[in-house]
Amino acid sequence: MTLTGRAKALRRARRSTSLARREALTFYLLISPWLIGLLLFVLGPMVASLVVSFTRWDLLSPATFIGLQNYEKMLTRDPLFWQSLKVTAIYTCVYVPMELAGGLVLALLLNQRLRFEGVFRTIYYLPSVLPGVAFVVLWIWILHPDVGLLNTLLSYVGIQGPRWLADPGWALPALLMMSLWGLGRSMVIYLASLQGIPRHLYEAASIDGANSWQSFWKITIPLLTPTIFFNLVLSIISTFQTFTSAYVATDGGPLDSTLFYVLYLFRQAFQYFNMGYASALAWVLFLIILALTLLIVRSSGRWVFYEGERR
Amino acid sequence: MKRFALTTTLVILAVLLLTACGSGTEPQAEGTKMILRAGTGDSGEGLEPHQQIIAAFEDENPDILVQLEAVAGRDYYTRLLTQIAAKDAPDIMQIGDDAVPMFVDKGAFLPLDDYIDGDYPLDTSIYLPGVLEPGQWEGKQWLLPKDFTPLGVYYNKIIFDVYGVDYPTDGWTWQDMLETAQALTKDTDGDGKTDIWGIQLTANWTTGFEYWVAAAGGSLISEDGTEFVGYMDSPQTIEAVQFFADLYNTYKVAPPPADFSLWAGGNAEFDNGQAAMRLFGRWPQASYLENPSIELGVVGVPVGDTRANILFWGGFGIFEGTKHPEAAWRFLSYYTGEEGSQVWKDWAIPPVASVADEAGLTTDPIEGVWINELNYLVPRAYVFTPYWNETADPALRKALETVLIEPEANITEVMQTAAQEAQTALEEKLAE
Repeated sequence: MTLTGRAKALRRARRSTSLARREALTFYLLISPWLIGLLLFVLGPMVASLVVSFTRWDLLSPATFIGLQNYEKMLTRDPLFWQSLKVTAIYTCVYVPMELAGGLVLALLLNQRLRFEGVFRTIYYLPSVLPGVAFVVLWIWILHPDVGLLNTLLSYVGIQGPRWLADPGWALPALLMMSLWGLGRSMVIYLASLQGIPRHLYEAASIDGANSWQSFWKITIPLLTPTIFFNLVLSIISTFQTFTSAYVATDGGPLDSTLFYVLYLFRQAFQYFNMGYASALAWVLFLIILALTLLIVRSSGRWVFYEGERR
Repeated sequence: MKRFALTTTLVILAVLLLTACGSGTEPQAEGTKMILRAGTGDSGEGLEPHQQIIAAFEDENPDILVQLEAVAGRDYYTRLLTQIAAKDAPDIMQIGDDAVPMFVDKGAFLPLDDYIDGDYPLDTSIYLPGVLEPGQWEGKQWLLPKDFTPLGVYYNKIIFDVYGVDYPTDGWTWQDMLETAQALTKDTDGDGKTDIWGIQLTANWTTGFEYWVAAAGGSLISEDGTEFVGYMDSPQTIEAVQFFADLYNTYKVAPPPADFSLWAGGNAEFDNGQAAMRLFGRWPQASYLENPSIELGVVGVPVGDTRANILFWGGFGIFEGTKHPEAAWRFLSYYTGEEGSQVWKDWAIPPVASVADEAGLTTDPIEGVWINELNYLVPRAYVFTPYWNETADPALRKALETVLIEPEANITEVMQTAAQEAQTALEEKLAE
């Protein structure tokens, strides 16, 4: 390469870096509303709460640094921490599979060509856009042990319904049932993805003699795995954060049978004003959710298939 | 053009950020008037008396304007605490009885004693008995009464008349109550299920339960605020829990709890004309008076081993960081004094005795009962420890739920466990 050639190349390179820099600047400017929001309202408070979790602080008196004492108390001598973790874990283990399977079944049904399919889709999706508290209050009436709709219906077929929210054995199942009404959220995502599956795959399969059961397992499910993966992660995160239903309908009771993790955290923070302890609880929850999500992401290579991906 | 767009974006962002971070609540003096902020947790119709009193006050005190800041619901205290921490709280703040020790301990309020004897004095002997005490803490007066209610027993005369049972009378006993309730618990259609219940009670409502303990001659905590063991499991407390649980489980005169959350609907039997009596505070009285299935009577709570009642109370105090302490005091003493009571008497029982007298409330067959009950008040447990809510309250709640859900539970053991749990939690707090 001649000297002038090298100079030219250098100049070109410099111009392209300055272009790249300009592009980067534009990029950051354009995402700045989100970025500033993240720094100010998410990352900032998160770091602050991490600091607070090492202190004892009641909002008004100055915070005292106490090292790991909050975490130590939580793990060694707070039975309610374990109880709330247990309730939340049971709820997650039962609800997540139900939502994944139930949402899929609904989506498959509503993906059929039927009359008024738009109406049905709306009806099934509607509960997921209702405001949480109104939704729960409605269900409190439905679940009323003596005059509620559910037990009245059960009594017509000769069944004496349980006392639902007033029975420690039935309160959590009642809340589960209540949440299933929100299946529409995952259903909509499944539906969208079902409609993205190319027709010709099914046609080819049927020419090869596949029945619909085989098509479902060999075409639909594999092509839906990215959606299932997405719904799984979303569903786990949201069940770990369950709050409204327990806060309004049961206030954690009876006998702490519906004491969800976030409800307990809320009590510590906003009823007892133990901000340090509540922050520590929040961080433990964050770590649990992070670990679970990472686990799922790591495992996803084995069971999630993307179209066009070579195997 | 591109640069222009970028610059504009930046400017808009900067403006948004700055305005978002700036403080927007600094009161501005309007002309020569001083502006006071008054914070309340009331909402809806409950704001009307506040507004009426404020309007009357502003008429008489042209140098002061009062802004009412209403934050409804359970967020109210959180908001107050953050405002106090930021030194930006309302000049006058309303809080409820059991929050008094916490707020005062954290230095949120000005002591009122110097003002009570100062340039704008307030005669504290004007109040009904027992309504000043909840605003006191460690020997000083920090808040003055806004509204309050003891417990009482509502009864539905329609049901009493149908079954020819005598109305309950003042000074009746636990035994009288049990017999009355038994006479009014009816299976009207013979299907083996109770259709009319004797008395609707308050399930796992811990605060309300303090009445039963007090009437049995007990207490839930030692007076020095350090012992639950020996109190929550004392013979008197156990007697109270036993009698309360028996009303549900053994005598079956109380409708089983519909839920165990204060925020859910609760039982509706009395409202629907399916319970002859209900033990509760004055809160739903106005709706009962309008309810066509109820012809309302009210009687004091029944006497156990002693006659006792407890008070639920809300009051106003002055923010410790206020810039206008004197103006705040003038408004506070107006609000909680005779003038304010003149407005309050149309909404609730006014704290000033003479106003209640003149309005005929003291001799009123219904309102008079609530006023008379004020003579039998005993202090609630929160008075003896600022940690009641997070130590004994969850333990007591669980104990009440246990005895109501498991009728075969051994009440002595349940209360011993509860006392122990509360004690452990309290000692942890005291060691901090």
